[in-house]
Amino acid sequence: MHGISYYDLRQVTGAFTHIDIDNGVVESAGTSFFNKAVLRVLVKTGWGVLQIDNYCPCTGKKFDELLEKAARLANITDENVNLGDVPRGILPVPPVKEDPRDVDIEEKSRLLAEIEQAVVREGIVNRRANYIEKDELVRFTDSSGNEFEYRMGRSGFNVLAVASRNGNVQMGYEREHSIHGFNLRHQQESGRKAAETAVSLLDAIIPKGGKMHAVLDPELAGVFAHEAVGHASEGDLIHEGNSVLKGRTGERIGNDNLTIVDDPTLPEFGFDPVDAEGVAVKRTEIIRKGVINAFLHNRESLASVGNGCAGHARAMPGEPPLVRMSNTFIQEGDATKEEIFAECKNGIYLIGSRGGQVDPGRGVFQFNAEYGYLVKNGECTTMVRDVSLSGDILSTLHGITLCGNERKMSPGYCGKGGQSVPVSDGAPFILLRDAVVGGSGVD
Amino acid sequence: MRWWVAVAWIEELIREAEKSVDEVEVFFVEGESVSAELKTKKVSLATTSRDCGLGIRTIHKGRIGSSSTNNSEEWRDCLKAAIASGKLATPQEWGGLPGPADLPMTPLAFDPDLCVEPETARELLETMLSGAQEHDAEVTAGSAGLSSTRVLLANSHGVRYSDEHTGVSVSLEAIHGQSTGYEFDSSWALSRIDPAHVGERAGFFASESAKGTDIPTGAYDLLLSPLAWAELLGNVYVPALNGRSVHAGRSKFADMLGKPVASCGLSMYDDPHLSGASGSTRWDAEGTPTRRIDFIEKGVLKAFAYDLKTAYRYGKASTGSASRGGYGGLPGIGHHNFVIDGERGTVDDERVLFIHNLIGAHTANPLSGEFSVELSNAFFMEGGEYQEPVRSAMLSGNVFDLHFMIAGLGKDSRNLGSLILPAAKIHDQRIIGK
Repeated sequence: MHGISYYDLRQVTGAFTHIDIDNGVVESAGTSFFNKAVLRVLVKTGWGVLQIDNYCPCTGKKFDELLEKAARLANITDENVNLGDVPRGILPVPPVKEDPRDVDIEEKSRLLAEIEQAVVREGIVNRRANYIEKDELVRFTDSSGNEFEYRMGRSGFNVLAVASRNGNVQMGYEREHSIHGFNLRHQQESGRKAAETAVSLLDAIIPKGGKMHAVLDPELAGVFAHEAVGHASEGDLIHEGNSVLKGRTGERIGNDNLTIVDDPTLPEFGFDPVDAEGVAVKRTEIIRKGVINAFLHNRESLASVGNGCAGHARAMPGEPPLVRMSNTFIQEGDATKEEIFAECKNGIYLIGSRGGQVDPGRGVFQFNAEYGYLVKNGECTTMVRDVSLSGDILSTLHGITLCGNERKMSPGYCGKGGQSVPVSDGAPFILLRDAVVGGSGVD
Repeated sequence: MRWWVAVAWIEELIREAEKSVDEVEVFFVEGESVSAELKTKKVSLATTSRDCGLGIRTIHKGRIGSSSTNNSEEWRDCLKAAIASGKLATPQEWGGLPGPADLPMTPLAFDPDLCVEPETARELLETMLSGAQEHDAEVTAGSAGLSSTRVLLANSHGVRYSDEHTGVSVSLEAIHGQSTGYEFDSSWALSRIDPAHVGERAGFFASESAKGTDIPTGAYDLLLSPLAWAELLGNVYVPALNGRSVHAGRSKFADMLGKPVASCGLSMYDDPHLSGASGSTRWDAEGTPTRRIDFIEKGVLKAFAYDLKTAYRYGKASTGSASRGGYGGLPGIGHHNFVIDGERGTVDDERVLFIHNLIGAHTANPLSGEFSVELSNAFFMEGGEYQEPVRSAMLSGNVFDLHFMIAGLGKDSRNLGSLILPAAKIHDQRIIGK
């Protein structure tokens, strides 16, 4: 069609099932349905994008009308967009052990209630458990003749325990989400652990903020990699000039033992069989042995920025793809946990995370731990709560002096541009020297 | 009303549902939106969408079921799914959906002059760009969006309400060296936003913060901008007023009714009929007529927010606070126009540390209120003038304690979505320097 150099269409149909149990009451449970598509058309001046609810696949004149409508939108754009050449291909979706769709919702509800009941113990004033199951059928087609289709499910649960004593209210939170099938069976331990954490936190102290050595557990260290490095390496931000990593390829940013990777091919929660532009997915080493190595790209940022590979475009159903992380992690090293604590000697051990945020242009990030312990002479002592860390991307990574020898990934969701996509973050235990720790405690 | 003719199937849905359940509620949304995005100074992408969504709630013998779909032609399947979902729910005390009230149906947040056209979005971007030119900063990204939405609520007690909303939003990001600035604005009316000012502020913060230096750890008198205050308030303080959290033991305010929870000059209320505010509506997401709720009067906690479900369960009355996060969202407890007020004055005369924005406010502990966040665009201020910028520092504290220490409110309020509030001066807060 006149003026259109490229188009692609991505349709996602599916179902969303949820169960919400609050203090023994099934608050809501059920299934909802969706059908969303996004049609992107590239003309000389830029992108015109149609978001279509309830899309019925069409061809011929009807489809041409959609293309024309999207192309007309690009009348207001004025950027000459080039798309990089990319490898194509789709990975098989990992098989599931037990398909959640084969389990009826009554049984799911009963199993979730068992987890929620496991929270019951003295000191707990509220317990809550949620089950979330998403089943998506994705169809991709583009003007270059590429066509991909895959079906993928994600499911899992969250359990929350609230403990209260004399106006001191604390919470413990556990979650398990998976692409490997139904995971609600035999999970009462998660409920017990949430309760244990909440009750223990009633006696935890708030540390005094300042600079200190910190040991980060694999979950928190994973969030660190995600916030401190992952976002700033996203090709669209580099292209806009909104990342401190721009133009720094080959520069040393950390020690030799630091390698940070984003890998959508890993069968973890952020797995993608093919990206949202129909590009084959591939592992990208963002930091290799302490040196800035490659960026995460979509086709557009690959063409404009270079250095790195495409295959990192992801999207919520019906939304235009953005450059996103998938499974982001710090590569394991060779230190044992004991060596890490011994090297820390005096400092703080931080566990779990309520998330974080980064200003990639400024290079400043913040992320938060759920709880932790003061470390004295290499031993964990007093329990602490409500601790955050902040840092500068370009200087803080030098503080990672030891990486443990075992890595663990944790599932989560990441927000950008109003879209939330499933990701996993992970790392081994790490030692971060001279960490800037925020805590409101006083002497 | 022509639109009612187009959705005649809703009457059929209600008749069909009444064959198997006590009550049914239908929430239907239809809308269109356009947006345009800047990549550096160039418009790189224009998007348009047509959305529709149907949410059904059924109530049978105290069991509440729900489902949603974005294909209204499939309302029969959606109804079946809602009824099936109700069979799983634990039955609860239920006093019925509301009947029809005699409410005016003229929309409160609808701008007939707002055209959902890409050209308008482009003009907004250009105006922002011209505003940003006043300062030495590069634009990195920006967006402008326009939307128009029709909402319809019907139930088996005869409620047939409809409403129309419009929306316009703009945002701009700028950078100078390694210093960033971000500003945004949104409203229901085109004339109520100021895109040139948004551009100017984004450029100003990027260029002015570039000269920032570090400050020592210690206690400082702070001036929280409306935006920075709203981040802490919205993540921690406002959710603690939610009746469900209160009765479930998830709110710090659970036993605080009638007791002081903030500085004595501070009042907080939800005013759903506030002229010019984006959240204004005459009925809530369940069809309960809305009214003003005075949550906090001169520092004393006076009320919590309720929807029907929570109210029936705990022997209270709905405060008309039900809201939905889109058609698929079940009604939950929210607010319409949450206003903070109190005696206004000059808050930037004596030397204070002004904080424009925070990084990581969503990681605050929502129950205990503890937080430690990174500052964004912080400056010392004196005599109403911005002085030395601060490069980087953390603010730590407790959101609930912080509200007892508010020593003054700025003269002007800012509308930030559904929160309307001024700047707040707070003495002696802990800053962790670098």
